[in-house]
Amino acid sequence: MIHNDTKDYLYDEILPRVEKPGRYIGTEWNSIHKDLDDSHIRFAFCFPDVYEVGMSHLGMKILYHLLNDQEDIYCERVFAPWTDMEAELRKSGNKLFALESRDAIDAFDFVGFTLQYEMSYTNILNMLDLAGIPLQATDRKKGQPFVVAGGPCAYNAEPLCDFVDFFMLGEGEEIILEVMEAYRQWKRTDGDREDYLRLVAKIKGVYVPAFYDVAYNEDGTVRQVAPKRADIPPKIRKRVIKNLKGAYFPDKIIVPFIDIVHDRIMLEIFRGCTRGCRFCQAGMIYRPVREREVDELVEIADRLIESSGYEEVSLSSLSTSDFSKLNELVEKLMSKYESKKVSLSLPSLRIDSFSLKLVREVQKVRKSGLTFAPEAGTQRMRDVINKGVDEEDLIQSAGAAFETGYNSLKLYFMIGLPTETMEDVQGIADLAFKVVDRYYEVPKQQRGKGLNVTVSVSSFVPKPFTPFQWEPQDTVEQLAQKQRYLQKAIKKKQVTYNWHEPDVSYLEAVFARGDRRLGKVLNRAWELGCKFDGWDQYFKMDLWMQAFRDCGIDPSFYANRRREIEEVLPWDHIDVGITKKYLRSEMKKAQKGELTRDCRVVCTGCGINLLEEGGVCK
Amino acid sequence: MQIRLKFTKGEEVKYISHLDLMRTFQRAIRRADIPIAYSSGFNPHQEISFGAPLALGTSSSAEYVDIKLAKQMEPAEVSERLNKSLPQGIRISGGIILSENAKSAMAIVTHARYTVRMLIPDTGEERLQQDIQRFLEQKAILVMKKQPKKDFELKETDIRPMIIGMKLIPGISGEGKGEYLINCLLQSGSKANLKPELLIGAFREFTGYEVSGIRINREAVYAEKDGKLVELLDHK
Repeated sequence: MIHNDTKDYLYDEILPRVEKPGRYIGTEWNSIHKDLDDSHIRFAFCFPDVYEVGMSHLGMKILYHLLNDQEDIYCERVFAPWTDMEAELRKSGNKLFALESRDAIDAFDFVGFTLQYEMSYTNILNMLDLAGIPLQATDRKKGQPFVVAGGPCAYNAEPLCDFVDFFMLGEGEEIILEVMEAYRQWKRTDGDREDYLRLVAKIKGVYVPAFYDVAYNEDGTVRQVAPKRADIPPKIRKRVIKNLKGAYFPDKIIVPFIDIVHDRIMLEIFRGCTRGCRFCQAGMIYRPVREREVDELVEIADRLIESSGYEEVSLSSLSTSDFSKLNELVEKLMSKYESKKVSLSLPSLRIDSFSLKLVREVQKVRKSGLTFAPEAGTQRMRDVINKGVDEEDLIQSAGAAFETGYNSLKLYFMIGLPTETMEDVQGIADLAFKVVDRYYEVPKQQRGKGLNVTVSVSSFVPKPFTPFQWEPQDTVEQLAQKQRYLQKAIKKKQVTYNWHEPDVSYLEAVFARGDRRLGKVLNRAWELGCKFDGWDQYFKMDLWMQAFRDCGIDPSFYANRRREIEEVLPWDHIDVGITKKYLRSEMKKAQKGELTRDCRVVCTGCGINLLEEGGVCK
Repeated sequence: MQIRLKFTKGEEVKYISHLDLMRTFQRAIRRADIPIAYSSGFNPHQEISFGAPLALGTSSSAEYVDIKLAKQMEPAEVSERLNKSLPQGIRISGGIILSENAKSAMAIVTHARYTVRMLIPDTGEERLQQDIQRFLEQKAILVMKKQPKKDFELKETDIRPMIIGMKLIPGISGEGKGEYLINCLLQSGSKANLKPELLIGAFREFTGYEVSGIRINREAVYAEKDGKLVELLDHK
């Protein structure tokens, strides 16, 4: 080979051979390129999935620019190379590189992963390996990067404790700058790795797993998680930004060359959710609810449209309809941007007559389908999960949609919810049929032609920090049986039936509520070749089961076992602000089918208001 | 008012597809606040059209885009604004105002000139010169070529008539590094179209050279006017 320069080699020899080389270019509009000098702290922001997925993630956009706004920090992006690219890198002996500088990341100061879903964990190991960074945190030496992680799965990242030097819990905007400041201090002292870890362990929200001992009971449950030293906090409390008013948001965002999953401006209108659906982890861990002001949102949108050239703005939150000034915001944005040909999209709407009217106003052009999420088929079941939707509302809204010409509807459901019976499963089919019937009640000349109702059914995964955290998951066999039952029950030409692979949900349940002993399973599964587990074509259940066997670990212990209320949970040393007392009382109410109101109406005492001094709820 | 702009697609962006390039321009036009015309109808889109698509991995000094403006703006002004809003590697190098009934850039192209940079060990300029000579002296150069009009079906085609010229550029770069530059003028457009990749493939096969580090750059695109080849911006 006559190439002198690895970067040239990557560019001239490898990229022409891979699918979508546009994933690896790194010079997109608004990407940041800095002239390096020794004083720079180099941060590799890693998303353990492919470019198109990772680039659609709002948190990464925020933190990328926040870090790069600091003169002495150079933050670059790294995504999981697709399998063809990985093969080329390994074959040519090249290491995983950061997109902007094309430098290998093993000489960076930080390699930071965002943990969005459990099925991306093997990609983390694979990326570390590709980077030439020791997988085990204990094997890393001075001069090698600190491997750090944050994001929703970091609240119970025990299965990743072997591989990650420390976690940052909660909203990253403030904590990450404090972690960087500690690094500047540490660098001046010429201390060793542990000195730095001790320094960051003092920062609120930082969890250094190596500083905690986990003891187990004879039955395999956790006995206790205790700090090894007196100066290490027994509980790690998540960080939140008290008030979103004036909170950091970048003036510009990267505009990718290639098409990505969400190729538009994401305007975050608020954080948190007050609905209190009992299966929903996001609804608990992202509390408290904090809105941005309308005027500030319009300003942010202005700046982003100008700097990006995007033609679409999407309002982003857990539940758009719950934004208290939604009408005002939509009106302001619409009147401003209609002439500029910028369109607005409103995902995550609760479908009622009010939102339908809004959607009609906003989307004058595209008459795409609508999505409803009743989550369960019977009223009893919906009450158990505290989904405050009744059948009448749903049928009425579907009717209103059909009357305005919609002919495509998507319905989301879950099976395997706590207390579920076959009657509840049948209820899903019944509800779908009622929606179909409602369509035919609309006069022929008024309704859109050719009805298509999609019923999408996923399997319930019990998650930490929810009222269902103690619940067993149905076995894969039970889930598959329910799926088959529904498939038969729903056979109707106007209805399309979609389901999620129960195997994947099973593994999610294992890792979501896993403990540190699962680290070796992850390692083994990766050795056996597991990666991109979230992608159907790469998910290999047999290899996973082999990994469990090889490690002598029974996955059902994590997924299918009812946990005792007194049991120490592997994540009990993490404080997300929601009290265990509240979760317990919600679980009891669930068993009785009692509803809990939206906490904007009346405080339901979840505990989040005590997270920060002076309270965080308005 | 309609204008035609000439631009580069440099090393930084040679791996983005034609579709990606179009989207990149559309967004740059919005950032630069160019008064572009929109189509009427329910889903208005920018009135913009591009010249012949470039193969993924090929850079270019001569790409073209036709833009319809809703308000008067000189090509120089449009270029200046766009150059501040385009990503690295894409630069507008000139522009003209088109006449009312001008044909699209895509329709008038007949030829294109490329330089091909290759790394070839164990050869020299003189020998390579002779190889090219012998290569061109063949009566026919048969290769399997995709036929765009027939569902990209492969068909054995003689590409010799589509090669107008092929020359080694001597003394350009380090012969010691085994780096060579070849300049070729090929037919391009709807009548006959030869991609440089295909030509290099045939040349590689003919000589048996182990070629690496291929970088292709489109240097110029021509249209026929009064029996002569003229650069696209001179073809008003």
